[in-house]
Formats: sequence, structure tokens, C-alpha cells
Amino acid sequence: MKKKTNRARAVRPAGKRTQNKAKTKQAILAAALALFAEKGFYRATTKEVSRQAGVAEGTLFNYFKTKEDLALYFFEQEQAEIIRWYAGDRRVQRAPLVEKLFAIIQHLLDRLTPYEEFIGAVYLRALAPASKLRPWSLQSQAQNLRYLKFIRGILAEAETDGDIPRVGDFGAYAFGLFHLAIITYWLQDRSRGKEQTLALLDRCLKVGSHLLKQGGWDW
Amino acid sequence: MKSAQQTSTLGRGFRLGRLGFSLVGSYLGYQMQNLLLGEGDLARRKARLQQNASRQVREELGALKGPAMKLGQMLSLQSGALSVDALAELAQLQMQAPGMHPSLARAQFKSALGTYPEEAFRQFDPEPFAAASLGQVHRAVTHGGENVAVKIQYPAIRLAIENDCRLLRSATLPTRLTGHVPGALMDEIQRGLLEETDYLREADNLDFFRAGLSGLPYVTVPRVYRQLSSDRVLTMSFIPGKTFSDWLQAKPAQPARDELAARLIELYETQQRCLRRLHADQHPGNYLFLPDGGIGLIDFGCVKSVPFDVVELRRCYRQRVWQESEAAARKYLSLVCGPHVPYARARRLLPLLEQMADIVYPPGASADRVIDFGGEADWEQRMKPVQAEYRKRLLRDKLINPDFAFLIRADMGLHHLLHQLRARANLSEIWRRVDRAQTRGES
Repeated sequence: MKKKTNRARAVRPAGKRTQNKAKTKQAILAAALALFAEKGFYRATTKEVSRQAGVAEGTLFNYFKTKEDLALYFFEQEQAEIIRWYAGDRRVQRAPLVEKLFAIIQHLLDRLTPYEEFIGAVYLRALAPASKLRPWSLQSQAQNLRYLKFIRGILAEAETDGDIPRVGDFGAYAFGLFHLAIITYWLQDRSRGKEQTLALLDRCLKVGSHLLKQGGWDW
Repeated sequence: MKSAQQTSTLGRGFRLGRLGFSLVGSYLGYQMQNLLLGEGDLARRKARLQQNASRQVREELGALKGPAMKLGQMLSLQSGALSVDALAELAQLQMQAPGMHPSLARAQFKSALGTYPEEAFRQFDPEPFAAASLGQVHRAVTHGGENVAVKIQYPAIRLAIENDCRLLRSATLPTRLTGHVPGALMDEIQRGLLEETDYLREADNLDFFRAGLSGLPYVTVPRVYRQLSSDRVLTMSFIPGKTFSDWLQAKPAQPARDELAARLIELYETQQRCLRRLHADQHPGNYLFLPDGGIGLIDFGCVKSVPFDVVELRRCYRQRVWQESEAAARKYLSLVCGPHVPYARARRLLPLLEQMADIVYPPGASADRVIDFGGEADWEQRMKPVQAEYRKRLLRDKLINPDFAFLIRADMGLHHLLHQLRARANLSEIWRRVDRAQTRGES
């Protein structure tokens, strides 16, 4: 009995430390996003971010070595949030595949809306060959893998239900690329409330799903 | 098993083209896609082939929806190639946007109003209960507990219509050069369609008709909730009425049919004469029928002003004013053909107008006769060939006045509605009633 209590005591401080770390990380991200929205990704300095977050500049570097690390953490958080949101929305889970995929991308776009300028800057940065943000960098790929597995799970359900033929992992990768393309379109969409992105997303998913039902891409 | 279409070069081209259509962002393309992709549509189209030619034209144009449908509709109405029945059916066509799944409708609501429907309303039904031109309608309950209908427009439809009109302009260039499709007609179609995409304009129309028709106690026009509306979302009070087909399915007795017909005619006349504005589509879908015999008037996206005096026009026709003097004939023909058509050309219509007037208003016949819209009245049979010739002449001699053509189309729509009702009505008596109301209103 006593042993158990000791163990509990030993575990508690470590849990709290982890929690505090996560809190600090979140605070830094929130401060950075607010500053990026105000001054832009390139003009906001790490000094300003640390001041806004209420941490020392050295502490900030303990968590994020560069602004790219901050961006990667932001996307990781957003991807995790999509997975959480999907798990909690029973209506979307029961919807047809086209609507499910539409809802997933739209939910992410909706969350990205306040940070549009930041996302645009990150996209440009991702084109640099040495950037950690480029899609084929190890850091990016490790992060995307969780999201791709999540999409693979949804496609696998549709395969089991006979909605689409077997697309395997390729289907998830193709959807990941499509997702990137839609975000690129969304970034340059100047229509009212970005309604052109909604229309394009809807049509592409319907056509894609139809082609799959017709026997894949064998045409 | 793969069909020939899927394996042949032509089939591949067909599929590529179909994909291309779907991706160019065109409304027409979207409709083509829906038409080609939907298995249900395919079966329906096969069944249609077994029906008569007029019916096919109507159905095919109906399937196209959008600007191409409108153009086809207007051309057919003016071509003289179709029967009167087919034209009446064509006049009934309504544009219809592709359906939106709940997530798309929800996203479009947020895009238009900056908030999600579940936040804006106490309750919101994600499944639509009706299709509308360019969008769909959902039921909802406001935070104040009022039942409302929320019309949500399909995203980016305005741009799609502009693209389609550009496409149609290119496609109809040869016919525009020969004068068979007047350039003004294309402009009119585009203007009308784009007007329909602005729901704030429709909200203004609703307010106008709500106030203007308040003298007709059996008419209900929805109230607009401005704070829950934008150019792409329109929130209105919900009218719990039956659709035309549901009303007919209950097999109402003849007196109920006659009463409804009288009200529809009075409503139509009141719009024309007192408000000088008219629902541009006299379509059954624009009406709802209430249990107490009331009529709900909905969908005010396409409203047109009536720039001339309908009563005067009718009086001139009945009295055959063109026989009185050349000045009177000139005046009458400028109403029918428009002021820009030379009198020398327009007067070629006079013998036909004479024939039509003899059929509609036989000399010496009582104006107070009851017309049976359900039966094929003798005068209608005699009228058909004359009307066909009249339309042919209008097109051949370029005698079209768009305002007058619009009125003919609206008349045709109402006539078709009364025909479906199989109602009997004394038009003169109803017109006199509207006269009296108009006089009271003016005084």
C-alpha cells in the first residue's frame, strides 16, 4: 500500500512537468500566431514572440529552434484536431464518403482561415530545398503519416462497404496531394467567403468518387 | 462488364470531356456532369425517348437547367416550331441548381454569413426540404422560436453563370449574325440570371410584394429576416402549405378548384395592374396552398416590371382599335412589337391579330362567359394554328418586343396552371373585381 503511494508521488511531479511543458508550448504557439497575423511571418521576430508568450528567449529556443519548427508544430496540432473532431462527429462519420472527405478538408480550411497569411508564407518557405517544411522532408513526412493513416482508415471503410474499389495506401497519398492542392487554391481564392474553393472541392470529390466507382483510373 | 463507351477511343474522349466539364467551374458543366453521372437520370432519359417530341424538348432543356435551358426556352417560345401545349410546358420550366450535401450547405452558410447555421439558429435541419432555383431550402427555428425557411445558394454560381453565358455567346455567334438570336436576348438572359443570384434583391422583392399584396387577405408572402440573410442566404418565415401536386393529389372538388383558380387569376391581375410587377416564372413551384384556401407566394428571385398598361392593351385588342384609325393602329402595334419596329413592317401582323381577336372575343358574344380551362375549348383549337403563325411571323419579321414576349410567356404559364387545375372561371368578373380594388387603392 505504502509502495503504491510512493509510486504515485513519484509519477505526479513528472506528469505536471509534462503538462506545464505542453502549456508553455501552446502559449508560445498562440503568441506566435497572433504576432504572425499582426506583422506577418517574416517580420515577426523570435524576441517578440517570447515577450508576447511571457517566456525568456532561451526558453523559446528550447521548444522551437526555428520559426519552421513552430510552423510544423502548428500543422501537427491542426492535424491532431481534425482527427479528434472527426472521432466526435457521428453525423459526418455516417455520411457518404464524398461528404466525409469534403467535411474534413473544409473543417481544416475553416480553422486555418484566421492564419491565412501565415499559411501562405509557410507554403512559400516550403519551396526552399533545405526547408524542414517541404513535403518530402523527414520531419514533414513523419508528421503527415499520422494524417495519412487516418485518411487510409476512412478509405478502407469505404472499400469494405463496397463504395469504392480497393485503392490501398495509394488512395491516401493521392488524397493527401489533393488536399495540398486545395489549400493552394484556397490561398489564392479571392471570391466572397472563398466560395469558389467550396465549389471546386465539391465537384472534384464527386467526380473522383464517380471515377473510382466506375472502375478506378483505367481509362 | 465494361461498356463499349468505356473502352472505345470515343468513350475515353467522352469521359475526359465530361471530366473537363466538371472541372472548369461551369454551372452548365456541372449540370452536364449531373446529367451524365447520375444513373437515375440515365434511366429517366431513356424513358423520355419513348415520349413525344415536344415532351423531349422540354425534358432535355429541363435537364440542362441554367443559362442554356433559359436560352433554349426563350428560343423555343419564339421559334414557332412547337405546339402551344409544348410551349406552355416550356414556360413551366424552372432553373434548378445541383443539390448540396449537408456539409456543403453548412459551409456555404458560413461563407455567406460568417457563422454556422447551428449557431445562427436554435434548430437547423441539415437536410433540405425543397429545391430552389440556384440553391436549396432548409427548415430552421430561430433563437426566438419562429419557424423559418432558409434558402442557401450553391457556391460560386454567379461566376459559373457568367462563364456559361460567355460560352453560349460563342456558340450562338452564327445565329446572332443571321439575326435569329438577337444579341439583346442573350443580354436579357444573363441579366435575369445574375439578378436571381442576388438574394438581397429577392429580399427587397419579398418586402415589396408583401406590402403590395396585403389587400388580398388570402395571400401570404414570407417575411424576411434581414439579420439572417445575405446575398447568398435568405431567411424567410416558413409557410406551412402544400405544393401544387400534393394539393391536386387530395382530389379537391370542382368548387374548390374554381375558387383557387379565381384567386390565382385575381392575384396575377393585381400584380400586373396594381403593382406593375410580376413573378417572371408562373410556375406551380412558386405557390404553396394553405389548408384554409389561402395561397403562399414564394421565390421572388425573378421579378419583372410591366412597363405598359395591361388593361389598356386588352381593351385595344377587344375593341380592335387598329380598325379605327392609323394613329390607333400605330399606337397598338408599338405596344406589341416595340417602338423601334417600323409601322410598315409591324402592320403585316394586323390580319393575324384580327383573326385572333375574332376567336377570343367573337363579335356579339358575352364577355361574361365562364371559361373551362380543363377542357379543350373550341376557341383554343381554332387559336392554335393562328398562334403558331403569329409566333412564326414575329420571328421571321423580327417583330419581337421583349416586354410583350415576357407577358405572353407569363400568361401561358398561368394558363397552363389553370389547365392542370381543370378549373372554370369567369375572367371578366374577376377583372372587374381587380378594377374596383385598383380604383379603391388609387382613391
